[in-house]
This record gives sequence, C-alpha cells and structure tokens, in this order.
Amino acid sequence: MRKFFAVVKREYMQRVRAKMFIVSTILLPLVMSLFILVPAIILSIDTGSPMRLAVVDQTGKVYGHLKGALESDDSRQGADNATRRGGRRFGRFVLQEVNANGQSLDQLRTNLDQRLRARDLDGYLILPPEFLQSGQVEFFNRNPGDLLSNGTLQSALNRAIREQRLIEAKVDTKTRQELFEPVSLQSVKVGDGKAERDSGESFELVFGVGFVMYLAILMYGQIVLGAVIEEKETRIAEILFSSVRPFALMMGKLVGVSLVALTQLAIWGLAFSAFALYGAAALTANGLPARIPRVPFSYYIYFGLFFLLGYFIYATVYALVGSMVTTAQEGGQLAMPIILILVVSFYLFLPVSRSPDSSFSFWVSMLPFSAPVAMLVRIVTQTPPVWQIALSLFIGVCTVFAIMWVASRIYRVGMLMYGKRASIPEAWRWARQA
Amino acid sequence: MGNGNDITVKLDRVSKSFGEFTAVKELSLTVRAGRVFGLLGPNGAGKTTTIRMIVNITAPDSGAITLFGRKIDAELQNRIGYLPEERGLYRRMRVVDQLRFFAELKNVRGKGVEAKIDEWLARVKLSDWKNKRSMDLSKGMQQKIQFITSVIHDPDLLILDEPFSGLDPINVELLKEIVLDLKRAGKTIIFSTHQMEVAERICDDICLLNRSEKVFEGSLRDIKRSFGRNSVAVRCEGGNGVLDDPALVSKLVRHADEAQALLAAGADAQVLLRRLIDAGAVIGKFEMVEPSLNDIFITKVTEAA
Repeated sequence: MRKFFAVVKREYMQRVRAKMFIVSTILLPLVMSLFILVPAIILSIDTGSPMRLAVVDQTGKVYGHLKGALESDDSRQGADNATRRGGRRFGRFVLQEVNANGQSLDQLRTNLDQRLRARDLDGYLILPPEFLQSGQVEFFNRNPGDLLSNGTLQSALNRAIREQRLIEAKVDTKTRQELFEPVSLQSVKVGDGKAERDSGESFELVFGVGFVMYLAILMYGQIVLGAVIEEKETRIAEILFSSVRPFALMMGKLVGVSLVALTQLAIWGLAFSAFALYGAAALTANGLPARIPRVPFSYYIYFGLFFLLGYFIYATVYALVGSMVTTAQEGGQLAMPIILILVVSFYLFLPVSRSPDSSFSFWVSMLPFSAPVAMLVRIVTQTPPVWQIALSLFIGVCTVFAIMWVASRIYRVGMLMYGKRASIPEAWRWARQA
Repeated sequence: MGNGNDITVKLDRVSKSFGEFTAVKELSLTVRAGRVFGLLGPNGAGKTTTIRMIVNITAPDSGAITLFGRKIDAELQNRIGYLPEERGLYRRMRVVDQLRFFAELKNVRGKGVEAKIDEWLARVKLSDWKNKRSMDLSKGMQQKIQFITSVIHDPDLLILDEPFSGLDPINVELLKEIVLDLKRAGKTIIFSTHQMEVAERICDDICLLNRSEKVFEGSLRDIKRSFGRNSVAVRCEGGNGVLDDPALVSKLVRHADEAQALLAAGADAQVLLRRLIDAGAVIGKFEMVEPSLNDIFITKVTEAA
C-alpha cells in the first residue's frame, strides 16, 4: 500500500510541477473564452447604418402595423442588450412610405430602382392590393444574401398582416393582446406521491456532467495511456517490478494521473463558478432574474459519484490499451474505438430519458460503459430504487478493478517479452498465463 | 551473516517455459552469503529468466526458490537490489527525486534517505548533478545513477545483470571497486554476464548456463584447479602443422603473435615441445598457463554435447 502511494505521489508531483500543467491550466480557459467571444464580437460588428427601406402599401392598411412591429423589435433589443447576442442588430430598418400619387406601378418601380442604384435606398417592398388575402409580397434589394435582415423583415410582416387580418375580423384590441399571450410550460415531476417542480434544470445539469466527463476522458485518457507506456519507453519497468507489484503500479499511475485531472478540473470549476456567481450577482443587481439551478442536494452527490465512475471506467480502458502497446502513437490508434463507445453511450441519453423505467433503460444503466450517463438520466427523471443505483455503482467499480487487473497482467508479460506489442488474442493469452 | 557458509539463495530444480520455449530447465544452484556469484553463459542461456525468478518478477513453473532461508514473497523484494540489463531512468525527473522514489519503492524513506543519496552520489563522483534532470546526464552518468538505484536501500542481496556494458574503463574500475567493497561489507552479489573475462576478475563462485541448463557450478578456484595447467601459450616460427595435430591439441586460438593451445586429453606438454623442436620451429615462448574461463566454458559445453 505504501508503495502504491509512492507511485501516486510521483505521478502527481511530476505532472503538477511540470510547466505543461501550469500553462494548460491557464491557457485552456482563455482559448475557450476566445472561441466563444470572437464569434460574438464579429457578429456584433455594426456594418453601418440601418437598412433604408421604402414601402409601397397598396392596401393602405399594413404600413402602420409593419412600422410598429419593426420598432418594437428595436426597443426589445435595447432592453436586452446585456444578454442578447449581437446578431439581432443586423435587422435594423428605417422605413419610409411611398405613396403612389397617381403614378402607375411601373413608374413607381422605375423611380425606386433609380433611387436604389443611386444608393439613396437599400431596398423596397411592394405590398399588392390583394396582400391581405394572398400574403404575397415582393422585396427588392441590392443584397438578397443578407439573411438576418430578411428574417427580421419576414417576421415583422407576419405580425403586421396578422394584426390587420384580426382587425378586419373585428377582434378588439384587448382580445388581440390576450390572444397573443404566450404559453408558460412547466413540467412537474411526480415522485413518490408528492409532486415537485422541475423546470428541466436537473436535466441540463446531467447533460453538463456528461459533457464534462466526455471532455475529461478526451483530455486525460491519452495522458493515462502515456503514463502507462512511460516505463516501457524509458525501460524502467523491470526495475520497478523488482520492487512493486504490477497491479499496484498500474493503479498508482491511474490514480496519480486522475488526481492531476481532478485538480485541473477543480481549478477550472472554481474559476468558472466564481465567474458565474459574479455574473449572476451582476444580473440580479440589474433587476434580471439569475438562474441558479434548484435541484435536490442528493443529486449533486450522484453527479459526483457517476462522474467519477464514468471517468475511471474509460480511463482504465486507456490504461489497458497502454499495457498492450509499446509507443504512444500505436496507443493513439488503438484508442479510437474507445471514443466511439463513449459517444454512443452519450446518445443513449435520448431513449433513456423518453422511457426511464423501461427494461432497456434498466440494462443500459447497469452496463458499465453506458451506466454513468444513463443512470443519471434515470435519477433525474424517475428516480430508480436505491438498490439499482447501488448495483450500478458496484458493477462499475468492479469493472474498473477487473480492467486494471487484466491490464497489469498484460503489462507484466509484455515486459517479459522484451517490449513486444500484443495483438488482442495474445493479450488475452498473456492475461491468463502471467 | 557473511561468514561464507550461510546460504542466501537456493534454487531447487527450477523450470520455466514460455509457450513452447523452455527458458530454464531443472536448474538447481546455491548462492552463499558474502560471496560474488557469477551467473555466466551466452546470450539466451536463461540467465535473465533465472534472475527474474529470484527477484520475484516471474514465478517458476516448477521447483522451489528459497531466499534468506524463506520461500520468496513480495516482502523479500525489499532486501534485494536489482539492476536489470534492460534499464533506464525517468527522463524529466531530477536525479535526487528519482533516487528518493526508488528508495520509497523499497519501503525506505525519511531523513536517512537524503544522507544516503548524498553519500552515494559522492562515491560515484556525481554530487554536482544531484538536482539535474536525468535527460541532461551523459549515458555513462545515467548508468552510475541506475547503479545507485539498486543499492540505495542497502540490500543484503545485490543482483547485477551486465552492469558494465557500455561503460568506459575508468568507470568499470570504479563500479568494480564498489562491488568488491559491498562484498567486504558482507553483501551477497549475483553477477550475470556473458563476458567471461570480466567474471573471471571478480567472481568467487560461478554457475555456467548453456541452452537453459546448468553446465557447471562451483568455486572459480576449484574449477581452474580441476582443469590443471593444460593450456600452453606458444610463440614460435615454423613447426607448421604440429599445433594442428588433434592428438596433441584439442583447441587452438591464434592471436596476433602467439597462439593458445589447449592440450588434448592424455597429451603431454613435453611431447608437444619436442615435436615442435623436431619440426624445426624457433621457439620464442612456451608457457604453461591456467585455462581461461572461456576455454573452460567451451570445453564443458562440448563435453556435455
């Protein structure tokens, strides 16, 4: 046991003290925030003045509603500026109504086309007399590719025509407002006789836990693999085996690297929480409701347990691959299927959430590779009996130890064979014979 | 211990196979305490497998191994120092951290370790490199650090597998002195090599292995005495053909200016000398010498075949 801790300590201290660790701990959040911020900044770049739009309203009834609809868009933007992404700002318009004044449609269009070419206008709309019935409208502009402006304009037109149609159907203002009152859907979770409110936040959290697990495995799986290969590449394995059992060595490496992973995740997690709390406080101060997920405390314990379980199950598979190969490159290729299994079990999310108490969901939440995500989904949807949760954890832990045991045997025989790479059947034979 | 009669390692009819291949077959041997025991033989004779069974890295298929009078177990590993032929260091780790780690793996820790590390580094003249990373060390320096990893925990049994390969003569001399010091301090040393000349200079006892089997075991002095002085170093001109007569010489090795002739069974050195003179050879040197370990090995292997 003391030798096991010696291995853990070496693995941890060497990695945490390495420059790589410090640099990546600081750099990764920076890079991530760049990925989020840069598109937002680019989208928010104001490419000039609002779109100048002429409207020929041959119905004589819609222009007012359209102007109202576009202006309400604008004012909503003003209020939400703090949270809304910059994209919406593309949709700003300056409207001007053009009256026919006895001109024919063709004459009007010739005039407007001239103004368009002279860059006096950016576009014009012609609402034909039968617009209210047909809903057909033509939009002439210099830049048909401006999808954002087109979208904004279309939805404003929709609202305008709906408004006018309701007026013509003799629906009064109050009723109209009531008709547009939006729905507020609240799903209520029915547990053991008592109903609790759950606005899907716990579901989002499960998704978050699954995603962090996925990231952690992608980032640290390869490091576990490298750590296992290290003694082969540096030819230290034989010296170590004269002092420590292969199983203790492998476990020590796995735990050591995992503690490094958890340290890094904890640093990021704390930084993120501090940031989020600060952000939430700022939002609350501005009178906006900040959402802090309200889920039962026991959920957080389950999140922690199944996150660790999921991470370790996959990390041990990387250790297993490491025990079979002699170089990190070989290992990288052999590790590809692991990612595939991971992705597939992540998508089991959907069928399990649809019918959490089906026998399919039961088995999927017992199988070690899919259990972490599937069981969490079941817990937040229809919490299964405690024995099922315990059984799932137990199976998972046993799997971790079993895989490590097999890996350490393969590792030892591989070392005795002078660094030969093991094929799968060979590895199997080695595991039994060692 | 160290009075020369205690037994440190005992193998009793030990066998080990890897699939079809038999690495060690029915091997019995005894390593006495406080002596340097040479495990000799060509590449592939089964030396490394034998050692790995002694240090409990791999288990024998049959037979028994006793260490310090006990059946081998993981605890006893802490009393063994092992320098395998296949050896390395953690590249990015500082020398001192590295040595401390290897000591910890033998359950040796605490304040004493630091002093031990300093002492050993001074002994191999690498004190200035204590805080350097091993990737910054030359190959020879790394080899000396590797040697320290096998003795840092003050083992009672030290097993060295080809310890001098790749070292320059000055460092070979340095390590040889250290090994002999350890022997004087009562440690038992098992020394494995295929270089007979090296073994000849430091071993008290030897065991010759060939093709997984023991060819000979005993003290170096005894085996040399049993072979007697039946080897002749000859430098002469002329006398062609006499040295090639199989009735007189069973084996002839020609060096640059002289030849070493192993006398055939029943042949007499005097007869050989007379025949050379009769053949008109001008003799510059004719000297009875002890057979080299190499000669003994070859003779024994041919006898066994």
